[in-house]
Formats: sequence, C-alpha cells, structure tokens
Amino acid sequence: MTVSTYAQAIVLLPFVSFVVALLARDNLPKGGAYSGIAATAGSLLLSLATLAAVYGGQTVNDTVYEWAVGTGAQDWTLSFGVLIDPLSALMLVIVSLIALLVHVFSLGYMNDEGEDDLPRYYAGLGLFTASMFGFVVADNLLMAFMFFELVGLCSYLLIGFHFREPGPPSAAKKAFLVTRFGDYFFLVGVVAVFTTFGTAAFAGTESFPALAEAALGGDATVWTPGNIAESTWFTIVGLLILGGVIGKSAQFPLHTWLPDAMEGPTPVSALIHAATMVAAGVYLVARMYGFYVLSPTAMGIIALVGGFTALFAATMGVVKQELKQVLAYSTISQYGYMMLALGSGGYVAAVFHLTTHAFFKALLFLGAGSVIIAMHHVEDMWEMGGLKNKLPVTYWTFLAGSLALAGIFPFAGFWSKDEILYETLIHGLNEPLLLVGYVFGLLAVPVTAFYTFRMVFLTFHGEPRSDLARDPHPVRWNVKGPLSVLGVLAVVTGGINLVPVKKVVGIKGIDYLHRWLNNDWGGLAGLSSHHYAKIGPYESAYLPGGEVATVLAGAAVSLTLALVGLALAWRLYGVADPAEHTAKLGQLRELLYNNYYQDEYQVRIADAVRDAASGADTVDQGVVDGVVNGVSSISLLSSERVRRIQTGIVGNYALLLTLGLTTLLAVFALLGGWFQ
Amino acid sequence: MVPVEYYLLLSSAVFCIGLYGVLTRRNALYFLMSVELMLNAANINLIAFSLVWGNLTGQVFALFTIALAAAEVAVGIGIILVLYRNFGDIDVMDAATMRW
Repeated sequence: MTVSTYAQAIVLLPFVSFVVALLARDNLPKGGAYSGIAATAGSLLLSLATLAAVYGGQTVNDTVYEWAVGTGAQDWTLSFGVLIDPLSALMLVIVSLIALLVHVFSLGYMNDEGEDDLPRYYAGLGLFTASMFGFVVADNLLMAFMFFELVGLCSYLLIGFHFREPGPPSAAKKAFLVTRFGDYFFLVGVVAVFTTFGTAAFAGTESFPALAEAALGGDATVWTPGNIAESTWFTIVGLLILGGVIGKSAQFPLHTWLPDAMEGPTPVSALIHAATMVAAGVYLVARMYGFYVLSPTAMGIIALVGGFTALFAATMGVVKQELKQVLAYSTISQYGYMMLALGSGGYVAAVFHLTTHAFFKALLFLGAGSVIIAMHHVEDMWEMGGLKNKLPVTYWTFLAGSLALAGIFPFAGFWSKDEILYETLIHGLNEPLLLVGYVFGLLAVPVTAFYTFRMVFLTFHGEPRSDLARDPHPVRWNVKGPLSVLGVLAVVTGGINLVPVKKVVGIKGIDYLHRWLNNDWGGLAGLSSHHYAKIGPYESAYLPGGEVATVLAGAAVSLTLALVGLALAWRLYGVADPAEHTAKLGQLRELLYNNYYQDEYQVRIADAVRDAASGADTVDQGVVDGVVNGVSSISLLSSERVRRIQTGIVGNYALLLTLGLTTLLAVFALLGGWFQ
Repeated sequence: MVPVEYYLLLSSAVFCIGLYGVLTRRNALYFLMSVELMLNAANINLIAFSLVWGNLTGQVFALFTIALAAAEVAVGIGIILVLYRNFGDIDVMDAATMRW
C-alpha cells in the first residue's frame, strides 16, 4: 500500500457509499447512514495515515489515468492524478473529519426527526464528500475543475433536498446558477492555462506555476495572445480562474447564493460551509498559489475583494433574525478573511484560518442544528432565549465556537484571525492597497464579535420567549458527540500555530503549521510557503519597535476590538428580556435588512440582458433546432412516401427485385464499358 | 464439344421462363416451381463453366444448390400449407396484410 493508493481509496470510499445508497435504497438500515459513516470513518483513518506518511517525508505526485492524449502541436495530456503534499494531506484530514461528524449528526437531525427519502440524502452526502476529496487530491487544474463542478452539483442536490417545499428548489437553483456563473470564467481560465503552458499540472518542474515563474524570469517562453506581456497575461488568466473561486467561496459580488442555501438541511450547511463547497474556492487559490504570487495585480484584487467581503458580509449579519442566517453571513465574512490573507501573501495564515474555521463553523452549524431540533424547527432567534440550562452540551460547545468565531483569546479563531491581520499589516505597510484591506479586516472584527454574541445571547440567555423555548425537545448522543469533538477542537486548534508566542516569548519551533507548510518534514519542491514568499511581490515592514511590538500591537488592537463588540452585544442583548435595537439604525436598518439590495440589482442586471437571452433563444430555436428539425421532418415525409412500395403483395416484391437487378445490370454494363 | 454459348442460351431461357412464372403466376405452387426453374438455370451455368475450364468446383457448387433447393422446397411447402390454412386458398396475392 502506497500513499497514492491511500489517496485513491479516500476518494473512492464515500463514492462507494453513494453507489450503495443509490442502489440499495430502501433496504439499508437507517437509510444509508451507517454505510456513509463507515466510508467517511475509513477515509478519516486513511487521511490520518496519509498525514503521517507526509510527516515521514513521503509525497505523491502521480498520474493515475490518462484519458486523452493529444497529437501534433497540441500534445496536451488530460489526466487524473494524485498530488499529496502537506497542504492536501491537511485538507484531507479536515474534510474527512467534518464529513464523518456531519454523517453522525445526521442520524440525530434527519433520522431521529423522521425525515423521508433518507437514501437520497445519504447518497448526496457521499457524493459530496467524494467530490471534495477528488478536488483536494487533484494534481492538475482540469481535474480540479471537474471535481469543482461535481461539488457544485452535489450542493444543488442537497440544498434542494426538501424539493416539495417552494423555498429549497429555488435556493438550490440560485446556488447552482450563481456558482456556475463564476465557473464559466474558471473554465475559460483552464483553457487559457492549457493554451499558454501546454500543461495544467500543479506541481513539478513542468507545472504551470513553475513554467510561469520561468517565463517571467526569462528562462522559458510561453504563448500569449497577441504577444501581450507575459505578466499581463498571467494576471488575466489568474483573474479568470479567480471567477470560479469568487463564486464558490461566496465572495462579493457572487455571495448572494450562500444565505439562501440555508434552505438545505442544517448538517448539509455545516458540510458546505466548513469543509466542502465554500472551502473549495479558497483551497484552489492556495493550491495554485505559486501562480498567483507572480501577479501583484491579481494578489491586490484578491486581498481587496476578501477584505471588503469580510466587512460587508459581517454588517449584514448584524440584523438577521434567524440563527442560520447569522451563521451564513459569518461564513461569507470569514472566507473574506482567508482571501484577504491569500491576497496579502499570508499563505500559511489563510490555511490556518481555513483549518480553524472548518472546526468552529462546523461546530456552530451543528450547534444551530441541535437548537433547531430542540425548537421543533423554529429558527427565529426571537422565539428562543433561555436555552442555556436546557441544552448544556449544546450551549457550552456553541459558546466555544462563538468565542473562536469572535476571535477571543485563547480560542482557535483568535490565533488564525490575528495571524491574517498581522500578515496583512506587515506586508501592507509598504503597500497602501493592502492597508485598505487591513482596515476592512480590522473593522470587521468588532462587528463579527457583536453579531456572534447577539446570536448567543438571544438564543441561550435571558428568559424563554416562547412555549417551545420553555420546553425544548431533548437531543441524543448522536448530536452531542459531534458537538463535543468539535467543541474541543475549536478551543485547542490554535495550538498548531502559536506564531505570536514564538515571536514574543521566543520558544522555537512551536509554529507547527508554518513548519508543516514550509516542507520542514518533507514536501514537493516549489510548493512551500518559503518558496511562495521568495517569489511573492511583498516585503515585510514593522511598526516602530520592531517585530515583537508589531505582533503585540496587532493582537492587542484586534482583541480589544473583539471585546468591544462582545461587550456591546452583552450590553444590548445580554439581559433577561432583550428588545430589538435595530430601530436605532434608522435608514441603515432597511439597507441591511435588504442585504444592500444585492439580490435586487442582480435581478435587474438579469432582466436587462433578457432581450439578448431571448435573441439567443430565437437563434437556437429557429436556426440550430430548425436545421435539426428540418432534417428529421424531411426524412419523415419521404419515408411516408417511400414506404408505400411495401405493398405486402409478393408479386410486387418479385417485380421490384427483378427491376432492381435489371437496373444494376444496366448500370454495371454502362460503367463497365460492355457496349463500347 | 458443344460450345459454351449454347449452354448459356439454354440457361438464360430457363431462367427467363422461371422469372416469367414468378412475375405472372398467383398460385403458390407455380411460384415454387418457377423458383426451381431459376435455380436450375443457375446450375446449368455452373456445370457449363465447370466443363469449359475442366474444373470440378462448379459441379460441387451445383450439388450444393440441389441440396439447397430441396431444403427450400421443404420450407416453401410448409409456407404454402400455412397459407392454405389461413386463407383457404394458395393465391399469393391474398396474403397482403404484412405491410406498412
């Protein structure tokens, strides 16, 4: 058994569970939950084995199957392959762990609640997990794109799980279409990468990031359209691929699908937000980071979009009344932070936040799911209150997740968010653009803490505000178990990367994630944080007082701001009988309630291009379909005539045979020249 | 030795008689007999050329054709029997329902 085999098995196990759930359907115990749990547990074990193998210095960059080999000038090979390096090994563990916990939680949320049609649900979860694994281990951009699309398809299937109600199918369609809009640019980007470099491999000397680096260094030549400068063309290609990232990771302006996606079952939301769909976008940028760092413009755009999204989404989360809506906007905002980190050269910081966010956001969604079970599927926070004593496990784990999300010391989110802001600051002191992103990120900190604790106080504290909240439905082990695991992780995950402690106290080597992504224990050449920093566009600068002072000042400012937000939430909502304070916002309130009219203007754009679309439809229906339909009706008509010769009378057939033979003879005679 | 042209003339004459029978007769038995005539016209051809080239292959083929004709008659008679049972007659023009 090699590591490559492990990786393939990791992808195939959930796929098998998908096939089993699809074929066996009603014959499975618990609607296919057990096969899903077994498959994801197997994937988790193999992922841990892969992680251990990478720790032992092994890496994989293999082609598994070539499904198309080009000829002539376009000698591109299209293939499936496995790329296991520190980044993908870490991501495999995150995805498999979250997927396993979500499967277990689904026992409580779906089975115990008596949902119908569970095999379809578990089949969707299995395919979703398998697609994400395939995306994570992909060794080239085309394979990544294919699994990226599969992930999108699965999210469509699962968001629209309750397809008999009006909301979910509409939300599923919206999610699919909005992300498809971004993926369209991604597809063009993939083609551009192939035409430019002749390969789409992520790693190795013949990979497209390596070729791009060589081309910029003058050591290689690549094709560019119209012979425009290579750096300009690389920026364009990078931005095209970024279109897919912005759609999937729900960045401004393609974030509108994500809040609606809350129509899906809550465990699915946890999976989408923590480990699969939304994480895919950020992971893609991290995967091909060696290409993005070559383009300062693309990096600047990533940073600005990320920083702006972080603040923009956070402000919308402030006024939401439904538990899951608050979490949805917090997801958009947190992925904005990751994009900010990637755009400002904080590769490790982004991966770190991806990791911690996966744990605490999965925890918060599962916690919300637990509350929803307890509240008999009422999601309005104004109907809740006082659940603290009735649901102690949910409360304490949810609190841990909230402290992590708000970035309170020493929970996981504090360390990762602080590192993002720190990286942005030190790189931004020379780059005004990044400084703008830093300010956005910093302003989002108190807003995040405020809406997080508004949610906590409204849900768990104060007096119960409805009969349901006075007598909640109890939850079982299959809900409490995953919550407890994630609760512990949300507290301790920060420990994998204690950079501030290292810098301030001076303990060497405790920034494990930095060393991990820097290939300290082995990795692939050209895919290390060290390499990215070397070829990247940014230089570090520090505040007066040097590195230690910068670290301390940055952490102090962000922690203070987070505490201010928390204190404000406590002051306003941490009372026995909280009131809505949104009226004080005045006109801003309407703006926030309507999500800055994002949906409205996108609908207006869609309406504006309706004429063009109907023109295209006319061409399609008239010309393209017209040709096809014409051909078929001509054959139909002529066959209607020709079939009359089948009279059923033997004599006629014999006559036709004879005539045919005579004609043939005559033709051969003429052509053969018998009469000359 | 008789020139080969005579054989060919005889064979084409027999073939044309058979063809004429197939095209004009309505009785299935006549039909069958006419087909036999056409097959035997082909046999004459085969044997004539076999004689001309001094090669036995043509005769072997003729034997095969005779065997095949026997089998064909067996099937043909069977079909005629079924025809009679269904239509009370063996007029081939009656069975005209197998069409578009």
